[in-house]
Amino acid sequence: MSLLDLLMGVLLLLTGFLAVRLKNAVHAALALAANFVLVGVVYMLLEARFLGWIQIIVYAGAIMVLFVFVIMLLYAAQAEVGADPLPALRPVAAGVGAVGFLALAFAFSGAKAPLASKAAAAALAGGTAHALGPVVWQTWLYAVLLVAALLLVATVAAVTVLRPGEGGGR
Amino acid sequence: MNFFYLLVSAALFALGAYGVLARRSAILVLMSVELMLNAANLALVVFARAWGSLEAQAVALLLIALAAAEVAVGLALVVAIYRTRETTLVDDLSELKG
Repeated sequence: MSLLDLLMGVLLLLTGFLAVRLKNAVHAALALAANFVLVGVVYMLLEARFLGWIQIIVYAGAIMVLFVFVIMLLYAAQAEVGADPLPALRPVAAGVGAVGFLALAFAFSGAKAPLASKAAAAALAGGTAHALGPVVWQTWLYAVLLVAALLLVATVAAVTVLRPGEGGGR
Repeated sequence: MNFFYLLVSAALFALGAYGVLARRSAILVLMSVELMLNAANLALVVFARAWGSLEAQAVALLLIALAAAEVAVGLALVVAIYRTRETTLVDDLSELKG
């Protein structure tokens, strides 16, 4: 583990914490965008270069812009609105999170990598589009087609739900 | 085996779970869900690096596309609910409780 890894880990946890704790929704969205960019950088450090760029373009770009758009559109840029009906929920949520972290860490602790680090890095070939393409378009072709169909259905559903003049729309 | 990033991924997942439970606005709950999805993706990429498997990276790529679909539908529902109910607070949307 290098100093860069340590820095990345600290920044990831910091931005993640800010994203779930900040009162202003716009600030939380920006912290989450920073978290997504950092995750993209970590992907590149882990020999997944194509995935790193996709992460930055799709997550930090498209998805976060959607979030910021909706936050601005709905004037809902506050995390605290009115009285909290369940004030005791916050420590319970923190406890659930801590238990989840411990369970995941315990589950991960049993993992043993079958290859030496150098051999695994060589097998990934840098995780470029050139290396990843044959896997995606041959082994996972049907999954890609299913996801494509799902994206189309999701787009149609989003447009239909928000169509004005029918149902609940105005 | 990069155990450090696995721990970071577990911590990010836990932070997302906390956010889902503690946030009251539906938009911020959705953002916390994104944090959890992202943590799972990070774990996949760490395992891909340890196993030297490009298949895990392909699955991570598909997961990013799935997350985009999920956000599109989720935010459309939030906007639709806001249009009829003038609220995005999850506590105000309790008509379906048993």
